[in-house]
Amino acid sequence: MSWLDSALDQLASRPICGYARDGAPATEPTALAALALIASGRQADAEPALAWLARIQSADGSVGIREGQSPGWPTSLAVLAWKGANSTGSHTRAIERAASWILTAHGNTTPRDAEFGHNTEIPGWSYAEATSCWLEPTALHVTALKDIGHSQHTRTRDGVRLLIDRLLDSGGCNYGNTVVLGQTLRPHVQPTGIALLALAGESDPSGRIARSIGWLRRSIGVETTSASLAWALLGLQANHIHLPAADQWLAAASERTSKSGRSPHKLALLALAAKGWPR
Amino acid sequence: MNDAPQFNRRAWLIGGGLTAAALIGTGIVRQWFRDQASVFIAKNQRYDRSLVATIRDGLTSCGLVPESVRGKRVLLKPNMVEPSRDCPHMTTHPAMIVAAAEVFRGWGANVTVGEGPGHLRDTDMALDESGVAAVLDATKLPFADLNYQEVAWTKNAGRASKLAGLYFPQAVTQADLIVSLPKMKTHHWVGVTAAMKNLYGTIPGIKYGWPKNVLHHNGIPETVFDINASLPKTIAIVDAIDCMEGDGPIMGTMKPMGLVVVGTNPTAVDATVCRLMDVDPWQVPYLRLAADRLGPLDERLIEQRGERWQPLVSPFTVLDKPHLQRMVRHRGVLVS
Repeated sequence: MSWLDSALDQLASRPICGYARDGAPATEPTALAALALIASGRQADAEPALAWLARIQSADGSVGIREGQSPGWPTSLAVLAWKGANSTGSHTRAIERAASWILTAHGNTTPRDAEFGHNTEIPGWSYAEATSCWLEPTALHVTALKDIGHSQHTRTRDGVRLLIDRLLDSGGCNYGNTVVLGQTLRPHVQPTGIALLALAGESDPSGRIARSIGWLRRSIGVETTSASLAWALLGLQANHIHLPAADQWLAAASERTSKSGRSPHKLALLALAAKGWPR
Repeated sequence: MNDAPQFNRRAWLIGGGLTAAALIGTGIVRQWFRDQASVFIAKNQRYDRSLVATIRDGLTSCGLVPESVRGKRVLLKPNMVEPSRDCPHMTTHPAMIVAAAEVFRGWGANVTVGEGPGHLRDTDMALDESGVAAVLDATKLPFADLNYQEVAWTKNAGRASKLAGLYFPQAVTQADLIVSLPKMKTHHWVGVTAAMKNLYGTIPGIKYGWPKNVLHHNGIPETVFDINASLPKTIAIVDAIDCMEGDGPIMGTMKPMGLVVVGTNPTAVDATVCRLMDVDPWQVPYLRLAADRLGPLDERLIEQRGERWQPLVSPFTVLDKPHLQRMVRHRGVLVS
């Protein structure tokens, strides 16, 4: 049995899953497990996860980190999972309620400050209520809004603007700061992959997207850790870049994940990267 | 949405015999540690030499009784805020973690290493880049990912910030003793980061974000104080061998000091760290809040063990920003 079949079988046997194999169910790994199963043509196996996400959806439409627990930053991942499976329209109402929450939620903006190299006035999304806009929640919400047909919504366009603004001039990005107190910060693989997934198809006269793609290609390899590798490949695939060595790298990452407890979160990401984002 | 389950601070108290260390957490001993404390300094330290003996000597000379940790859950909390292979002086050296683990394991404790990196959602990447993954593997030390574990809510015992309570991950709520294992560094917002600020990493990113921005929005000094006031018994072992000066805690330059600083009161340890860096501890906002509430800053109340700090002082450069310059005003010169 290949690593991929084994990973998918594990996810199918327990699609409502946590970050660790014996961890409490959490929204992010469960949504990613559903996406991986859907991408593999195993939609029936994903249904319990999709139903669980719908069951824990709050009255305001958000889906918190775990059942009954805010904040709602993983709501976008639930939307992506529901949308991926929504050929029959059975998740339409959950998607609409979640989209309504996403469009209402926002991070804090602040007047521009010379100590920061990026534009802190562009609206985006935060992890927690009443805090600043950061890169990964903004990228995930933008990806979800685009997926459900809101590509031209003002919030989506602002989110895209924020993401491009937060890419480093030399390529790549981090959690969402560029230059602080005169120093350019370091880029990291996972946020760059997630940003590029959200920015697929966008035009960028600044050239930062192209340089970020270049940086990401140079920054991954057989030793890249599971989550970073998977998000990097998903970001590159969204920009029509398929690396010949990707299968080998995914297999190596899967082997390491197996040795360290078979985290459903990591296996779901690896399987999703192997199969490609469901379209 | 409902809160996560609460936990009871009483469950955090270390049980046991009649020794002072075994009573840590009770009102009497807390009061004693708040009023005065011992801090141990070792010089000429290297990552490839006898750190186990240094740490063992440091802890016992500061009053920790080895028998008091037998069978207890000890959580080692290194600093891995945003590790990068090209900047090893940003994060706690793996040799410090291994040595501390060996000391506590040798005393019969159940040791876990735990961290919730502040700037990276991929914790495996943080472990890899810092070199910690390799030593966890080699020494069979369990690791708790504090960013993603299940959480429990506790009342904010400090109340310097407006936060009514704080969420802590399971490994933190279940620990009998937390060992802050920071790197000695400058910090571009609050001047210095060592034992107390390192405990930001006990706060779960899944609730507070990456970075843990809820804390920033409620005041960095205030929330550093609140976290330290709300945690169970915490002690400190500072990696002050290869340190960071200038634009810390991420982008600064290496400053070799060759020191290990140990103490059972993190406030007193941080005050001593400041003095070694030639920074005025009374001008570090979270230390000013902690003074005489969590521990002493006044050097007359800090009993020095091992080396004296005075001959070891080596001024750390800090950024030329007004909020930082007041911490080094006594030097009488501007530094870049």
